[in-house]
Amino acid sequence: MMLFNIFHRPGPGAHYDIYRQQQELAHQLGLKTTIFLYYSDLFDPRAIADAIHDRDTHGDEISLALHNLTGPEITEISNGQIALWLLDRERKEQILARMIGKFAEVFGANPTSIGSYHLDSSCLEVLRRLAPEARTVIGGCFEEGVRVFHGCNHSWYLFNEGMPWNPWYPSKTHGLRPARDEDDAAGVVAVPHLVRDMSLAFEGRNDFWASHPPNVIRGMGNDASFCPYDLNLIDQYRMQAEWNGGYSYYNTFVSPSWLDWNHNSEYPPEVAWELYRKFLTYMASLKKDGQLEDLTLSAYGERHRQIRPVGHDEVYLAKELLYGSGKHYFWFVDPAYRVTIDATQGGSIGDLRPYAGQAPVATGPDTPHRDIGSYPYLIQSQHRSGNAHHCYDGARTTLLLKHAGQTLDLCNYRTKVASVTRADDRVKATLTPVSFTFADGLAGELTTTYEFGNGVITISRQVSGLSAQADLELIEYFKGAPGRTEYPEDLHGIILEANGSSPVQREFDYSGQWIDAPGATEVAAVIPHVRTRLSLTSNSAASGRVHAGHLFSPYFTLQLAHRLTGNGTTRTCLNLTPIAA
Amino acid sequence: MSESNSYRSVMRCPVCFSRDTDVLMIHTGTDFHYCTKCSFQGLESEIRGMYRDIQKKFHNMGKRITLEEQRAL
Ligand SMILES: [Zn+2]
Repeated sequence: MMLFNIFHRPGPGAHYDIYRQQQELAHQLGLKTTIFLYYSDLFDPRAIADAIHDRDTHGDEISLALHNLTGPEITEISNGQIALWLLDRERKEQILARMIGKFAEVFGANPTSIGSYHLDSSCLEVLRRLAPEARTVIGGCFEEGVRVFHGCNHSWYLFNEGMPWNPWYPSKTHGLRPARDEDDAAGVVAVPHLVRDMSLAFEGRNDFWASHPPNVIRGMGNDASFCPYDLNLIDQYRMQAEWNGGYSYYNTFVSPSWLDWNHNSEYPPEVAWELYRKFLTYMASLKKDGQLEDLTLSAYGERHRQIRPVGHDEVYLAKELLYGSGKHYFWFVDPAYRVTIDATQGGSIGDLRPYAGQAPVATGPDTPHRDIGSYPYLIQSQHRSGNAHHCYDGARTTLLLKHAGQTLDLCNYRTKVASVTRADDRVKATLTPVSFTFADGLAGELTTTYEFGNGVITISRQVSGLSAQADLELIEYFKGAPGRTEYPEDLHGIILEANGSSPVQREFDYSGQWIDAPGATEVAAVIPHVRTRLSLTSNSAASGRVHAGHLFSPYFTLQLAHRLTGNGTTRTCLNLTPIAA
Repeated sequence: MSESNSYRSVMRCPVCFSRDTDVLMIHTGTDFHYCTKCSFQGLESEIRGMYRDIQKKFHNMGKRITLEEQRAL
């Protein structure tokens, strides 16, 4: 079953009529909407009367949009700032108090839901205090950050990476981190602003590839009013119900300017309209077939509380659609981490967010984070090199397979996700086998299986079908760095550790030195930036190595080596544990 | 759909767009559009041809892939 929200908002001037046509279209198709009114709309009798009419006639919800901070007694506080989360705490509170107060004056009650592009921890705290009735929010734009900043000619200051792609319970200390439990939870259910293509949102601009037909026009993914991709993406989200308790989630939020001539399209408005109509018509047909339920945002929030307990996990198997590449990505998120497996790079970790450390972030000029609201990564292989193809490699994991003086790097082998299963509170993803051949003719197959859950990623490597009984060394490799954008951050303060016959504990010093740890069964990095200790552990490991990268390759690297003679399987745990702040 | 909308004749630079950046070109009233970020300038017909070239990478742009077909991808 797909649960679906439609969001609409009025626009000024001629765009008001477009908004009314959007509402009419949804209602003709028998679909409910949530109407987001800006503060300035709360002074417009026509906008208020139409919203009340739609609520009373069609069951729509009237909600408050926080973006665009203009109107009486607010314009002079915001001074042209359009993003509430980028104001200081005092101004956040002043503006929210005025907006909520005016909403209550007009409608006789506080809003039950709120919409924003991003809600940082201080906005959420103020919001909960001023409007406890607002139990559901639009709380973030999945993975909008560096690439969208570039794409909008470095002018769109929304740094929002490292969040769940589907609805979540924001934590108190970071609005994008899913809460561990009720104590940690900020008290709302958040949904993402649009849902995104989980392949192309990782590889590039995710403001193109989303549940928003005119965004796809912006990305040039349409041939005039022919755009099967819009429906393909819906079906890919429907597919996720299989691994997520029978439910999938989708929403759309097309504001009127996208259905007029606009600076993000070279087509006349009729094209955007036709694609929006096809999109909603498909949703209505799914509803008729009993495969979709349309809800208001608040109703979704309450449903979410029934179907997803706080602390739940979520899985997404992404199969790239538009290029026809055959690529698979696998995503897993729970309160301990969010991880992306890049199957095309042998199953390397392409992105890792260590939620376990509960790194706190609030945005605004009164915080050290200023505009960067993202949850920091330890691996982001798109921003930070990943597999080596120019100079050094960057943030990634891999397996190095060594034999007779030759090293094969699993990142250079393509796999797909062969199966996803759930058992014992854990999710297991098995990749298709890789066939390898060494220069001396030794050949065989290697199959990687991941298990996710409980703050651990277990990596199994099974070697089978070896053409001869030979010695192999299997080295688990983790190269990472705490970061938030594509630029490196100061790595001083990281401590590299290993156990074994001569234990290692060394401060990260940009020396470029490898330190061997014979007999090690654990290698680790203590990373105060994200309040996390990351370790690789395996009782059957033979040795380890740790590395403090120099300034031309500013990463820490951990290696843990196993030796096999003939076929066999190794198991390594990647553990993320919190450290004291 | 206002006929007087100023975005009617505005196009994004195909060179900057091919680098994933939206940059609006300026249309001076002559036939040429020019980019303010890079050195590209061109006619509308030429620009639309370049958009088509950009789209060639989307091999599945015209392909409906149903739920059942995606399961098998
Ligand atoms: Zn240009």
